[in-house]
Amino acid sequence: MSALKGLVIIELAERVCGEYCGKLIADFGAEVIKVERPGGSPTRRMGPFKDGQPGPERSALFAYLNTNKKSVVLDPADSGDRAKLEALLARADALVDDHANPLFSPEDLSTRFPRLVHCLITPFGQGAPADYQQARSLNVINAGGWAYHSPSETPADKPPLKGAGRFLADYEAGIDAALCVLSSLLRQRRSGSGQFIDISEVEVQVNRVDTVLDRMLAGEQEPSKARTAYDMGGPATSFACADGYLYIFMTTKAHWKGLIALMGAPEWVQDFPEDWLEFHCTADRVALFRQHFALWAKDQHKHVVSVEGQKLGVTIVPVNSAADLPGNEQFQHRGFFQSLTHPVLGEALYPTAGYKLSATPVQLHSAAPALGQHNGEAV
Amino acid sequence: MPLPPRGGPLAGIRVLAFTKVWAGPYAGKYLAHLGAEVIKVESMTNLDEMRAYGGVDINAAPYFLSINQEVLSVQVNMKTPEGLELVKKMVATSDVVIDNIRQGAMERSGLDYDSLKAIKPDIIQLSLKMWGTEGPLAYQTGYAPCFAALAGLNYLVGHEGEVPRGMNIRYGDSTAGAYAALAIVAALHHRESTGEGQFIDLSAVEAMTSLIGDSLLAWSVTGEVPQADGNYHAEMCPHGAYPCADGEWLSIAVDLEDEWAVLCGELGLETAPGHATLAGRQADRHAIDAAIAARTATRDASQLGEALRAASVPAFRSQSSIDLCSDDLMWSRGGYRMVTDHRTGSRPIIGPPWRMTPDEAQIERGAPLLGEHNDYVYGELLGLPPGDIADLKTRKVID
Repeated sequence: MSALKGLVIIELAERVCGEYCGKLIADFGAEVIKVERPGGSPTRRMGPFKDGQPGPERSALFAYLNTNKKSVVLDPADSGDRAKLEALLARADALVDDHANPLFSPEDLSTRFPRLVHCLITPFGQGAPADYQQARSLNVINAGGWAYHSPSETPADKPPLKGAGRFLADYEAGIDAALCVLSSLLRQRRSGSGQFIDISEVEVQVNRVDTVLDRMLAGEQEPSKARTAYDMGGPATSFACADGYLYIFMTTKAHWKGLIALMGAPEWVQDFPEDWLEFHCTADRVALFRQHFALWAKDQHKHVVSVEGQKLGVTIVPVNSAADLPGNEQFQHRGFFQSLTHPVLGEALYPTAGYKLSATPVQLHSAAPALGQHNGEAV
Repeated sequence: MPLPPRGGPLAGIRVLAFTKVWAGPYAGKYLAHLGAEVIKVESMTNLDEMRAYGGVDINAAPYFLSINQEVLSVQVNMKTPEGLELVKKMVATSDVVIDNIRQGAMERSGLDYDSLKAIKPDIIQLSLKMWGTEGPLAYQTGYAPCFAALAGLNYLVGHEGEVPRGMNIRYGDSTAGAYAALAIVAALHHRESTGEGQFIDLSAVEAMTSLIGDSLLAWSVTGEVPQADGNYHAEMCPHGAYPCADGEWLSIAVDLEDEWAVLCGELGLETAPGHATLAGRQADRHAIDAAIAARTATRDASQLGEALRAASVPAFRSQSSIDLCSDDLMWSRGGYRMVTDHRTGSRPIIGPPWRMTPDEAQIERGAPLLGEHNDYVYGELLGLPPGDIADLKTRKVID
């Protein structure tokens, strides 16, 4: 059983944000028809590729973003194809788009297809200056503030970072777009009418930091040019260890006492007051702690020390790499990774979703479609 | 008194929230900002820590005010049997129950899914925990940066050649909350078409892992373990943030050769013949980054960004908190907006990142006072007469 059975979504999106939005909806069981121009979505041309060889069916990025979808090729410049696209829209429940200059304007669509839910994702949202709307994922995460403040404690002479992978800001925008589309489709079930949904990728970035930035907007904390303006202070950070990296988070006396026990009470801990994390957490002390802890950490194994730490009430965790995840017992228990076979990429492990729905679990039933695979069927 | 209608796509959906700190409240906020009626269940005996941070007045705590706009608050002491019975009556009138409280706490209060289902057969319940509600590691606890470390996300974030330090320490809770809201609305569709509710078990770690899905599949297909790679992008070069005057930074993402030529022209860089192709530039990217940085260092980030964008090169200033607070576009589009505030009259908030036409939900009320909606919940929803409500208050069942 799937949550969105019976819903039909047309995807004109060609960027990661819109394609991820479509994927979230498709993985819940809606019929998502991806309409591609001749030559296919630009994400088909982004790597990495199977065996390093580019090709429309060889992109791992495209394969990830387009599970459970159908692909139809239509040329908007061709009047016959354009009519077919409009016929698709007439029977669809929603349209997901992510073009700054869309094929169809919101006004046009709401007049001609009043029942359609139309979602348009753009870097800065409708009404933003046209030159802003060229922004790429890197520009979005920088405009939205997360790059400037990542990692925590970045020194002033090191560049802001793009985040994890190439598309972090796109994933975030895709979540909110999918949330809005599904909410609006609930309204459509009841009212029979559609809505236009305007998503700003940068505003999604800003919303994700509400409890830090809003206190600055409200004058309760000073905004600043500091790269550390979002930081919390304290010793929490990543450390190199024998088999990779580990991350420790400590804020209380209980954490500290647990850590002392975990390390076997080395002599240097006597230089620290027992309640230093709560009441005497100076920059010097944090630096001194890190110096000592780093020496201890470098001989530790991340998974072992994490399990031992949890027993002692210390939040110390492995900084897992991609290769660590599929074998992790909790990921396995929850079935987070699903094996799926793609005709060109072969069998591979696909991440599913962080939510397990008891009645309608997310299931990957089909690999990303070949370009135009559903031409005959869907149009 | 019934509450005035606010509109929005989730109007008519009632959510009961046992949420604390950030991830759970963020899910509640998003549902409220889409028009749902979100009732936060609170008590003096079991306060959301966010009402305590940064001050002594639990009704004016900045952290709490920054998240919980358009959320309602009802007080009930769940440590009393009578209080628990009242909570169950609230469940009977709700569509959704959310919690992100300590592992096992809902079960101990008799608020596990099977019990809720007995009260309201089509209830949708979502629990949000670090590792989900059950399984071999479900006993473990942690904070948002721990989710991001466990998830594989932080491993990918760091300056090249350094320990991967990850996203800023604040990253993670809000995203997990957004995924929670999404799963709930998907479940509402299933209920709408079949009449069936369900239990949603959300792992905050897996939520973070979802954000690097393409990197993980790429590993499975190619066998190459992705690493923290600074601002490297396989398809674009140059691609990074470059230092400008006054400690500012400008992000520049160059795709095709024409963009590279424009960038060189603007910065007065020699265009080496070998740099005409992406492969050529990638091979020399550290030298290219250094050459760009040497020329951007004296430029004003905003002006240079504007000049590059005018010539169709995607560039934007890397924004600090003070840049963000003074961002006119955020104000003019409603990305920032004002809501009511009990103490000061009004407060700026971060509005939702969506606009809807027509029928966008109204967002006008700031975060609730503790128990602000006691009379609405007990009187209007549960139908208790005023005398009974007063008695419950006296006996500190409503506390």
